[in-house]
Amino acid sequence: MHAFGEIAEKLRRSTVQVHTFGRRHGGNGSGVIWSADGLILTNAHVTRGPEAEVELWDGRRFPARLAARDPRRDLAALRIDAPSLDPAVPGDSRTLRPGELVIAVGSPLGFAGALSTGIVHSIGKQWIYADVRLAPGNSGGPLADANGRVVGINTAVVNGLGAAIPSATALDFVRNGARPALGVSLRPVHLGLQILELDPDGPAGLAGLRAGDVLLGRLEDLHAALDAGGQTIRVRFLRDELRRVRETVVRLAARAEAAA
Amino acid sequence: MSTQLAALSNELAAAVKQAEPHVVAVHARPRFSSSGMFWKPGVIVTAEHTIRREEEITVTLPDGHTVPATLAGSDAGTDIAVLKVEAGPARPPHAAAPAPGTLALAIGRSEESGVNASLGIISACSGEWRTWRGGQLDRYIRLDLNVFPTSDGGAVINTAGELIGVATTALSRIAGLAIPTATIERVAEQILTRGHVARAYIGVGLQPVELPEHHKGLIVLSLEAGGPAAKAGVLVGDIFVAVGGRAVAETEDLQGALESTAPGQIVEADVLRGGDARKIKITVGERPRRG
Repeated sequence: MHAFGEIAEKLRRSTVQVHTFGRRHGGNGSGVIWSADGLILTNAHVTRGPEAEVELWDGRRFPARLAARDPRRDLAALRIDAPSLDPAVPGDSRTLRPGELVIAVGSPLGFAGALSTGIVHSIGKQWIYADVRLAPGNSGGPLADANGRVVGINTAVVNGLGAAIPSATALDFVRNGARPALGVSLRPVHLGLQILELDPDGPAGLAGLRAGDVLLGRLEDLHAALDAGGQTIRVRFLRDELRRVRETVVRLAARAEAAA
Repeated sequence: MSTQLAALSNELAAAVKQAEPHVVAVHARPRFSSSGMFWKPGVIVTAEHTIRREEEITVTLPDGHTVPATLAGSDAGTDIAVLKVEAGPARPPHAAAPAPGTLALAIGRSEESGVNASLGIISACSGEWRTWRGGQLDRYIRLDLNVFPTSDGGAVINTAGELIGVATTALSRIAGLAIPTATIERVAEQILTRGHVARAYIGVGLQPVELPEHHKGLIVLSLEAGGPAAKAGVLVGDIFVAVGGRAVAETEDLQGALESTAPGQIVEADVLRGGDARKIKITVGERPRRG
């Protein structure tokens, strides 16, 4: 249909490629131009390294500065010094219904500006699931509705379905910044959540937690505690001895890093 | 231009919304739930291959509640299972027979994310079709769309929200199929009245043979002692050429010829014995059930 092309053409001008460098952090992802003065939204997992470069649809490249990062919601905001960009038009993900047509633009496997179409499969608690074919490189790119409005940020492929972060979550991130985080990566274990990696300068690292410690409790409860709005949270954990429950107070970073 | 696209998008979402109150999640196998569809109040149909246990089956209703369900019965041949719950909506409106190229949606449900949909087309249609599991579908309806594991057994609808059939991935290796509404009607009613689908049988072991002038027939190699054919006087070595007026050249043809005959009814067989044609009336029996 002619109309898909029309929407895709506009969407392509608001979609960028995000290049990152280094042996550990190098790679390509996509991003969405969120404001005409250079705010780019992408996935946190696309911007793991300290440096990034943004390539516009017309091939111009700009160095990017990380403005805000929210690993818990897998969102990141980049800033580039480029005037009068074509920002995407945000839609309202809260009114999105299963069955609506959706369009994804990104650079799957390096093909810049590639288009995939499909429908909304279902509305999950955390993600919008779409029956569209995505590939690595779509991460961070836009998922738009039949009017070309961005309703999600493509993030993952789950059981063959495209999973996108709802635009309402992206808007909250742009307005209010990252949600408090511990600065750790966790995996569920029998007794709780084990710390796999830890940022030594992050809240958990500064509170004396170490990789290998097991935080007691469930992930949902930890998230609820982090989102409660307090400046500190009390964390109970195990280290080495199974019978001794330790406790520490983690001071959370202020939620001041609003991106816009 | 893009208003056309928005109109189609709204039509699709409206079709999903119309089917949504009829579609449930079915919890009857490990790991993945499947889907099912209200056929009438208190009666849910789903794909038989997704039912892996006979007890402790639950369904998640459109209002989000998960309630216990009982297995009324199932038919592996057509991949239809019937579940019973306390109450529920009537059947959705049925679509006219679909044509290849028709847009179709597979509608499922999961406990976590509610109703779900995938879009594609009907890629092929034909008349009656025997499944590799031995059942007979009233129509062959092949789907060119993703039937995700949790949507298996859910509803296949057109863009007006009308029912085409129940989605299954177990009847074809190359594509999902829709089990047509006519087959569900036939099979589900039998399951509800008897608890299973009675299959006609006459108790013979057969092999195809060539006959003069390029005709074919089925020669009787073995007879079940006291079975319907033996009682009717059929002998080993007899050759069936037609049953119930339908020519039989392959063993499946006999099953097809018996499909419309209920156990207890009489079917007339055209038989060759020693070169002479004769007609034998057989009172059809019910195939003994395994297990």
